[in-house]
Parts: sequence; C-alpha cells; structure tokens
Amino acid sequence: MAQTVSSISNLNTREYRVLLIFAFLVPLIFLLDLLVGSYYISVPEILNAIFYPERANDQVVLIISHFRIPKAITAILSGAALSVAGLQMQTVFRNPLAGPYILGVSSGASLGVALLVLGTGGLLGGSLVSIASSWGIVGAAWLGSGLILLLIVIISARIKDIMTILILGILISSAISSVVNILQYFSNESMLKSFVVWTMGSLGSVTNVQLAVLFPSVLAGILIAFLSSKFLDAFLLGENYARSMGMNILFARMMVFLSTAILAGSITAFCGPIGFIGIAVPHIARMTLQTAKHSLLVPGTILIGALMMLVSDIISQLPGSESTLPVNSVTALLGIPIVIWIIIRNKNTARL
Amino acid sequence: MNYDQPDKIIDLANFSIGYSGRANVHKVVKSGISVYALKGELVAVIGENGIGKSTLLRTISGFQPSVGGDFLLYGKPISTYREKDLALLMSFVSTEIIRVSNLSVFDLVSLGRYPYTNWFGKLLEEDIFLVEEAISAVGLRGYEYRMVNHLSDGERQKVMIARSLAQNTDIIVLDEPTAFLDLSNKYEIVHILHQLAREKEKTILFSTHDLTTAIAESDRLWLMLGASVEQGAPEDLILNGQIDSIFHSKHLYFDREKGDFRIRKLTKRDAHVNGEGIALGWTNKALTRNGFKVVDSTVPADITIIVDYPEWTVIHRSRQTKFDSLLSLCRHLNSLDR
Repeated sequence: MAQTVSSISNLNTREYRVLLIFAFLVPLIFLLDLLVGSYYISVPEILNAIFYPERANDQVVLIISHFRIPKAITAILSGAALSVAGLQMQTVFRNPLAGPYILGVSSGASLGVALLVLGTGGLLGGSLVSIASSWGIVGAAWLGSGLILLLIVIISARIKDIMTILILGILISSAISSVVNILQYFSNESMLKSFVVWTMGSLGSVTNVQLAVLFPSVLAGILIAFLSSKFLDAFLLGENYARSMGMNILFARMMVFLSTAILAGSITAFCGPIGFIGIAVPHIARMTLQTAKHSLLVPGTILIGALMMLVSDIISQLPGSESTLPVNSVTALLGIPIVIWIIIRNKNTARL
Repeated sequence: MNYDQPDKIIDLANFSIGYSGRANVHKVVKSGISVYALKGELVAVIGENGIGKSTLLRTISGFQPSVGGDFLLYGKPISTYREKDLALLMSFVSTEIIRVSNLSVFDLVSLGRYPYTNWFGKLLEEDIFLVEEAISAVGLRGYEYRMVNHLSDGERQKVMIARSLAQNTDIIVLDEPTAFLDLSNKYEIVHILHQLAREKEKTILFSTHDLTTAIAESDRLWLMLGASVEQGAPEDLILNGQIDSIFHSKHLYFDREKGDFRIRKLTKRDAHVNGEGIALGWTNKALTRNGFKVVDSTVPADITIIVDYPEWTVIHRSRQTKFDSLLSLCRHLNSLDR
C-alpha cells in the first residue's frame, strides 16, 4: 500500500511539473508581448520603465504602463477566463465542442451590452470609460450570457445529441446577431457609434479603469471554478452518476453556470467576442496534462489560455510591421485547426 | 411454515413505476410490483424488452420518482432518506458507455469516494486503499494508470463496477451491465457480481437479457411478466413453469431440462440413431435442428444413422452412404425424398 501511495504522488508530480513549465512560460511570453508594438522599445528600457519609472523616459513609461501592460494583462485575463469557461461547459454538457463562443454565450453577452448601450445610449453616450458604466456593461453582459446558458441548459435537457445542440447553438447565435442588428437599425447616430466602437473592442481598448472591473470579475469566476472542481469531476460521468454519488445537481450546476456567465460575459463586455480559445484550450490542457481531474485542469487551462492569448496578441501585432490584426481573427486561425482535429478524432474515439 | 428471513434490504409492496406527466397524470409502466431482496443476494431482473426493467432499476436508484406503492429501504420508506444518505447505501452502474479521454482507471474509480472526500475531493490514505482494493476486486490490478477510453468494453464495465465498489455501499444497482459485452465477458461480469454478493455480503440488483447466466449465477430472479412480477430462486421459477411465460412467442419454449430457451421446430421425419459417446449427443442435436425426430427402435423409421466417430453411415431404403462430417451428413439427409 505504501508503494501505491508513492506511485500516485509520483504521477501527480509529473502533472505538476507540466503546470510548472506553463507557469514559467507565462511571464516569459508576457515580457515578449510587452516588447512588440508599433514603437520599438528594448528589453532594458521595458524593465526600467516597470521597476524604476522615475529613471526612464516618460514616453516609454506611458506606453508601457498605459498601453502595453494593460493589453498584456487583458490578454492573460481573457485567455484564462474564456478557457476556464470553455472547460466547464465541455464537462457539464459532456460535449467536446462546447465553448462560450460557439454555443452563443458570447453573443448573449453582446445582446446584453447592445440593449444597455442602445437603450440608454443618451445617458452613457460615448463615455464607456467611467468605472460606473464599466460595471453597467459587465452586468449587462453577465445577464445576457446567463440567459443564453439557461436556454442551452433547457435545450440540452431535452436533446441529447451533441451535434444537434451545437447546430441549435449556432442558430441561437445568429438569431441574437440579427436582434442586435435590428437594435442598431433603430438607434440614432451617437448611440450607434458608441456601440460600434464597443463591437470593435480588442485587447488594446481595455483601459486601466476597465481593468479594475475586469480583474476582480475574472478572479471571482475562476475562484468559483476552482471551488467546483469536485463537481466537475463528477459531471464527467453524467448527471445520473453524479446524483447517485450524492451530488446536489442543482447547486453544482448553479456554481458552474455562475462562473461561466461571469467569465464569458466579462471578457465579451470589454474585448468583444473572441472565438475558439474556449474550445481549443481545454483540449490542449487535457492532452498535455494527461488527466481529466479538474483540480489540475482548471489551473492548466488558466495557464495555457493565458499563453494562447499572449501569443495571439503578439501575432496580431505583426512583429516588424506598424499595423495590427484584429485579435479574434488570430484566435480563430489558431483555434479552428484544433477544433477540426477534435471533430476528426472524435469520429473514431473518445468524446471529451 | 415461513422460511423467509426478516432482513429485507429492499422491499417493494404494490409498487408502481412510470413517468409523471403534467398535472399529476402519471403514465404507469407497471404496477402491483411486490418483490424484495435480502442481504447478500444477487438478484437478476428478467423480462421482455420494454416491460420496464430499466424503469424499475432507475426508480429504485432514485433517478425517477415512483408513481405509487411502497418502497422500504432497510425497513424505512425511501422518502425519509436524503440524497447524501442514499449515496452511502446504494451505488449505481448504468448501461451507458463512459467515453472520457485522459481519464485513468484510478481516477475514475476514485470518483466512487465522492461522498466521503472533502470539498476539493482530496483522497486520504484510506480512500486510496479502498480504491486499490476495488480495482483488485474486479481483476484489474495493474490497470490503474491506463486511460479508460483505451480499454475494451468488458474492462470498462469492470471499471464502472469497481467505481461502485469504491463507493462502499451495501447495495449495488446495475442496469444491463452486460448489454454490450461478448459471451466470455458476460459470464465474467456476472460471476464477479456473484462473488461480491457472496464474499462482501452486498445486495446486488441487475437487469439482463441473458437468461443462461442469470439462472446459473443469481440467487433470486425478479421475473417481470405482462400481468405480474414474480420472484423466486431461478430453479423454483423453472419448476413451477413461470419462467415459460417470459416470451410470448409460439416459436420459443423453455427447455426445463437444459435450462434455456429453444426455438420450436416442426419435425418432419423420424430417424433411428445408433452409437455412443459425445458424438451421439451432437448428432442428435444436428438432426433436431434439421427437423428430424430421433426415435427409439420400437417406432418404425425409414432412416437409420450409425455413429462411429469420425464416420457416420446413413441407411435409407437399404442404401448405405458414409460421411466424414455432420455437415455433409445433414446436407444428404435434407436431399432425401420420402
């Protein structure tokens, strides 16, 4: 028995070692992300600007502290949040292709924001920068994504087929986009402008003021996900097994959906819809960690998600060029091959 | 005189199963179920497709509300138990194949410790010991770090049984645990269940379509028939003829001597068979399948077969023909005219 205990701890150290490698890579890529941009700043200058701002060039400090650091932090937060949201959805729906973007949770968040901005456009105007309006936007996004999640839960209780649910999710997304379009059609010029500016949102558009809202929101969502890891493990076997092991299904589901709505809603509220990170990252985590235990998968997806978004951000800067690509195009181009691989592999082997 | 022991673990009285519809209108699948199970018994639930075996087991497991009657668990109504308490008394194995990649046998079985571990599911030394013990009990020692989706169907079903063992409940309910398995795995799984009932004194309920294994290994059958649900030792139900009424088919009958269902054949012709040993028995079987009735020498027959393994001789209208296999013998017999 002593032997089995030690072999189990050995196995876990292997997984922790993989996590450690990812944890080491995140600050490295973070620094690399600070390095790229339309204006060249060298590594010593960056470190100087961070640690001794009084000795550094004012302009460099401004660029680093007001643009590049918030953008890189936003990349980490959005990557982590979308990936953890995707992981939880994949486990609870027992569907390898579930994710906040593909099942319409992100578009639910946009609908919430659209209703707020276009409905109260006169009040908020273009001033989406104040902390009060930031909370308003994030709250509307939470409500929107929560509503769509609820709808998907109701659908998936009746329909078991993964592909059908997926197609319905895509239809829901399209329907919501149409509603948002209609809202835009009926709104006046200034409201429209502030909404369009929001839809073009990217990692770079998140200000330090908005970060003050985004950061605690993502932290709360991730904390709930950590607390749900035992529930999530039980969900792997399906709800009947989970219930037969004494799990309170309703409570567990509420925890998971609360976390998912907060995570996907917050990111969509500030960065606009970012696709395919939420689907792809959990699979990379399962593959690299070789485990299905959520106590390891949650930290794994946080780290890998952060890395994926940082890399996407670096690619979107088109190093060596002055122009930038929309980050959601980059994540799509990175994520879609992984999704295709999942679909092909899924045909002959496992589900999750 | 009453030989029944009083310690009924599961006791159903006038129990009804079904689905609850709108406004308290129930769709009753089956009613008037009065059966029970004792401690340490392996109980097989037998019946035609669609008669409600799954519904009954799912209702007992608490996944579906009952629609009437009494269900006593350890003498107390089931409604007095909370879900958390039930998880310590009863575990469940479904017919569904679990397809989760990167889930090791150890991790899946350790999920059985769910009701005992803390909020984060941390396994203590005792939990790890029980998980290892459960894996050994189903004969999968050494498979701990294999991934579940790389196992065969039979091995995967054993893992699911190990999970329910790790849950350490006195009752295990299994819904068609052998549904997708080949013959040898079917026997093995039912045999494992039999041993668990014997050695660990667990009360095990399982539904199955495989009568032969159910009759050979289980202590009690719950026989779900069209009009009623009967129970008893398999042999009792065979002797009193109740097992005959499982399948409402003219072409099927229960062979009481051999303990299995057979297809009724119309016999066309009589034949005499002379010979001895195993070869004689199998020759008779082959003849029966081909519609011949083996009769003794007091009854006249125009065909005589002499078994002298590995050779057969057919005498028909004083013509002798020799054969080296039953296959060619049967082909010849079928071509004979009256």
